[in-house]
Amino acid sequence: MDFDFSEDQAAILSGLEQLISSLNIEAPKDAVFSAYSQALDNELTEGGFLDITQQEGFGLLDGALIVERLARLPVSVEAAASVLIAPAFLEDTTRRPVAILQGKLTKPARFLPMAKTLLVDTDDDLLRIEIPEGAVEEVETLFAYPYGCLKNPKALSSVSLGAGQLAKFRRRWRIAIAVEAAGLMQSALDLVLEHVKTRQQFGRPIGSFQAIQHRLVMAAELGQAVRWLAFKAAWSDDEGDAAIAATFAQDSTPKFVTDLHQFCGAMGLTLEFPLHHWTYRLRALLGELGGSSGQAIAAADAVWGSKNV
Amino acid sequence: MEFGWSPEQTAHRENVRALLERELPADWDDIAVHGPGSDAQTAFSKIFCKKLADEGLLISHWPKEYGGNDMTVWDQFLMGEELWAAGEPRGPQYMNVNWIGPVLMRYGNEAQKAEYFPQIASGSVIWCQGFSEPSAGSDLASLRTKADKVEGGYLVNGAKIWTSYAGLATHCFLLARTASAGKGAIVILLLDMTSPGVQVKQIPALIGEGDIHEVFFTDVFVPAENLLGEEGQAWEIITFALQNERIGIPRYAFSRRMLDRAAEKLKADGRFENPVVRDRAGRALALCEAARLMVYRVVHQRATKAPQDAYGNLARWAIIQADHAVNDFMTEFMPEGLLGEDQMQIAHHQRAIAAGIASGAAEIQLNLAARRYLDLPSEPRRGL
Repeated sequence: MDFDFSEDQAAILSGLEQLISSLNIEAPKDAVFSAYSQALDNELTEGGFLDITQQEGFGLLDGALIVERLARLPVSVEAAASVLIAPAFLEDTTRRPVAILQGKLTKPARFLPMAKTLLVDTDDDLLRIEIPEGAVEEVETLFAYPYGCLKNPKALSSVSLGAGQLAKFRRRWRIAIAVEAAGLMQSALDLVLEHVKTRQQFGRPIGSFQAIQHRLVMAAELGQAVRWLAFKAAWSDDEGDAAIAATFAQDSTPKFVTDLHQFCGAMGLTLEFPLHHWTYRLRALLGELGGSSGQAIAAADAVWGSKNV
Repeated sequence: MEFGWSPEQTAHRENVRALLERELPADWDDIAVHGPGSDAQTAFSKIFCKKLADEGLLISHWPKEYGGNDMTVWDQFLMGEELWAAGEPRGPQYMNVNWIGPVLMRYGNEAQKAEYFPQIASGSVIWCQGFSEPSAGSDLASLRTKADKVEGGYLVNGAKIWTSYAGLATHCFLLARTASAGKGAIVILLLDMTSPGVQVKQIPALIGEGDIHEVFFTDVFVPAENLLGEEGQAWEIITFALQNERIGIPRYAFSRRMLDRAAEKLKADGRFENPVVRDRAGRALALCEAARLMVYRVVHQRATKAPQDAYGNLARWAIIQADHAVNDFMTEFMPEGLLGEDQMQIAHHQRAIAAGIASGAAEIQLNLAARRYLDLPSEPRRGL
């Protein structure tokens, strides 16, 4: 049990930090709902960060550390599926970004507008679909990810990866949800903490009011809990750990997001204040894989089994 | 970063489990049902702690110079986790070894160490903590119990309330004040509970029999050699003691055991296929495991001798959420347990409802974490 980074982990994260610094990534100045960075994607690919789990001596936890750090940025990039999910199912991991979907092929999916591969959990099979140019229609949304729908799913050929892969696919997806949520929660909290320490009302910072302090500590506790549950799940790649981490992440999201916006008042409702770049990614993750009830039931089933005796 | 156990740690945990299997009597659940402060559990603690002492496990985390075995921070914690999950067969004596002893090591004089360590190491003494008073709960610094200086010592007058384990305690870690105001006037006295003028009255409570008491002090003489540390040093000592106390009880371990037990019972009753039940059980499970990792993070800080921040306060909040969630789950889906069918569920309920109050109120944890973890500005004091 060690909560500190190993030398290798610290070296990877240091390299990632340098890459991020070199790109001068800032929250978008324009009033936009979401911002996707192709430049960041290019650099991550070039730097070998997205295939870390396939490199000798590195594993899923190392990939999770990268995904968590990237989620803290005010711009989005498709990393979670490429790093934590796709390598377990795709022979050619260079066909990315990778979008993931559960249910009908007509549903919107994150990162589908730029995806080259789509992995679909149809409930009774796992499908791989290569996405040709022009096959996707962008979807306008409040969520701070690029979303798209397949224009004509029937026209696309799919490869069955087998129903036997579904449990692993869902497990990795749950880990990805939790890891990404951990990064999003950290940055959202950091921004709001800065705000409440400087924003004055009644002659003092609003962060000095106990009513706000207590709820911010509760938010911090939620963020920390998601962080450790997510990293532990990535370390163990265990069915129960993954479902527990995703349960906590999705279960925490509504109160976490609502409180953080509340503390920023009307400012937090505007697009010029960048809070939504994190909170509206969190809200997007909330509904994946059946939402918090879906994960909680999966956690119970993994730990205790679902059958009466 | 990694989340596994070494073979030695796994073996240690197995060893503790084997010891529990071997030493807990068949009617252990009946003994444990009224909580660590009950007559039955206190009496059993003297048998069990003697066994632990014989196995070299009672104070094994203490330094060798004090009779311990320099057990690692992690091994000590893993043992505490197993013992609490089993219902804490050390009874009130967990407090002796977890923080009374370490506080004495740091602040006690040689005579005090010579007197108290052998008693604690033999598993035969019960300590209570004389902290809270009718007008000083969370606001501990406003305590009023007086310790007037007299020839050869102090004369104590006043009252303590909500004192756990006082009914059968042999010693009290007593806070009193030598002057009317200020933290600097507080002293810590190591009081013999058989001293003339000490009167203990049990308070009937929701949390079980024998757990909380009023303690009255009428002209109780405490010799000067029973002063812990120097006058004026008490607040520093209390802060050190509470750091050990706040996550000293791995409550989530008992909650997780109860949740596992609840799932098995619900399955046996044919109610676990209901997805609503599994949904709620899964959420409670997530809270237990979140609390576990938050606490492990604090233990890691201790094990690596990293500077202590307010993460322990944050972890306490997580522990409280876990205890409440498991209690709420069982109360909602297994109300028959609280209707006399399941004594262990009643025992868990009684511990859980105190989770946010015992060892420092939850709101105090939030205050401390706000200032020391989030670095938020203090709330200005209102003018009179």
